[in-house]
Amino acid sequence: MKRLEQRIAIVTGAGQGIGRAIALGFAREGARVAIADVNEESANTVKNEIEASGERALAIRTDVSNEKSVQAMVERSLKEFLRVDILVNNAGIFPTSPVEEMSEEDWDRVIGTNLVGAFLCARAVVPKFLEQGTGRIISLTSGRAFQGAKNGAHYAASKAGIIGFSKSLALELAPHGITVNVICPGITDTAQPRGHQTEEQIYAQAQRIPLGRIGQPEDLVGPAVFLASDAAAFITGQTILVNGGSIMW
Amino acid sequence: MSEKVAVVTGGAGGIGQAVVGRLARAEFRVLILDKNEEAGRDAAELLRRQNYDAEFHPVDLKRATEIKELFETIYAKTKRIDVLVNLAGGTLHKWPIQEFPLFDWREVIDVNLKGTFLCCQAAIKPMKERKQGIIINTSSNFGITGSPGRTAYSAAKAAVIAFTKSLALELAPYGVRVNAIAPGLTATARVMTGHTEAEWRQVTETIPMGRAAAPNEIAEAVNFLASDESGYITGQLIHVNGGMVFS
Repeated sequence: MKRLEQRIAIVTGAGQGIGRAIALGFAREGARVAIADVNEESANTVKNEIEASGERALAIRTDVSNEKSVQAMVERSLKEFLRVDILVNNAGIFPTSPVEEMSEEDWDRVIGTNLVGAFLCARAVVPKFLEQGTGRIISLTSGRAFQGAKNGAHYAASKAGIIGFSKSLALELAPHGITVNVICPGITDTAQPRGHQTEEQIYAQAQRIPLGRIGQPEDLVGPAVFLASDAAAFITGQTILVNGGSIMW
Repeated sequence: MSEKVAVVTGGAGGIGQAVVGRLARAEFRVLILDKNEEAGRDAAELLRRQNYDAEFHPVDLKRATEIKELFETIYAKTKRIDVLVNLAGGTLHKWPIQEFPLFDWREVIDVNLKGTFLCCQAAIKPMKERKQGIIINTSSNFGITGSPGRTAYSAAKAAVIAFTKSLALELAPYGVRVNAIAPGLTATARVMTGHTEAEWRQVTETIPMGRAAAPNEIAEAVNFLASDESGYITGQLIHVNGGMVFS
């Protein structure tokens, strides 16, 4: 039995890594997926992967930090699929710099993409959710939200912001049966940590993880499908940590 | 006959019956442990009539030796315990602190916390040997927020969280995952009979989603944690409460 049959999902940052895995996982469960990514080429590649498996998908070049781009993305998706049931706020960036060298532009770009982007996407789908009387928002945070990030203060701040934003939105939308939750991965085997860590540094972290390995994008798929499915209808405002036990909250 | 074995304490209760039903549908052979013999036998019989593999074992969680022997018997027969769900527990006694008899206080702690410890301890051996296993403990929103009159219950349920994290760390090297669920107000017969209709309306209005959980919604969270889909989740607490308490 497919658990997301006939559902329409928008997944941001779905051109690669965790977002891609979630988009493919949703499609396996019967959902039609709008792949919103700033990189049009990678969005198209994921779209083709999904269509090769027989589900429908849509690739939309989107800059989540740009209000007009987000609005256009949601309109395009609604035009194609007529409704939207699930939003996954996954798009994020993680440049590094110590705070004393961090420019205002650096700060604005990280907060603008990771936090304001989630707000813009949520705001753009909520009217349709309210009209339908259903909807799910799932946003991705990071263990850095709890532990901080050396040379990534803007990133840690943006990811902690995701949690506070999601709890507040959960309270606003709960009376309408719309749930808002957060998934918190630990270190995951994607391109992102490779921007600031060597291969050795990445895999060495497995020793500090109770389950003895770093995360794979696929590890996030089950939790995302669960939160998007009917099974999680009464779970809202929560943060689910999927990290092999590296942080217990 | 199903291969995978799930042991569910409190499996004859309101949430328990939903959990054993859900796990049976997920192709577990379910072993219902409960102190209530009549309800336990009925729950197992109900599942067997639907062609599921279910059996009932009476147990008193206040008797350590009894728990140990029961798990040994189960293990000898099944040769495996894939999932242990510690659901048994409850508020049991509500008293203002100055009137709370020590006997009652101990009973609440023993059933909710020590019972969980004893069942985990008894189930761990086969899990460690097979290098796989899943334990799901039950906390409560009251373990986070506290509740007047429920000093013992809140303390026990908060303790279950720290116990769960510690056990998760101990067992992670063996590939055994340990997590907890925290149900909010759940519409079981036991809970609902404790409220008048007006009281129930008043209580559910304070929940952001405006209603109590259905027992099957708690069962779905248990099923998620009992599945491979949560394979990288350990030491965590999953709240199912309609937004009443946030992690």
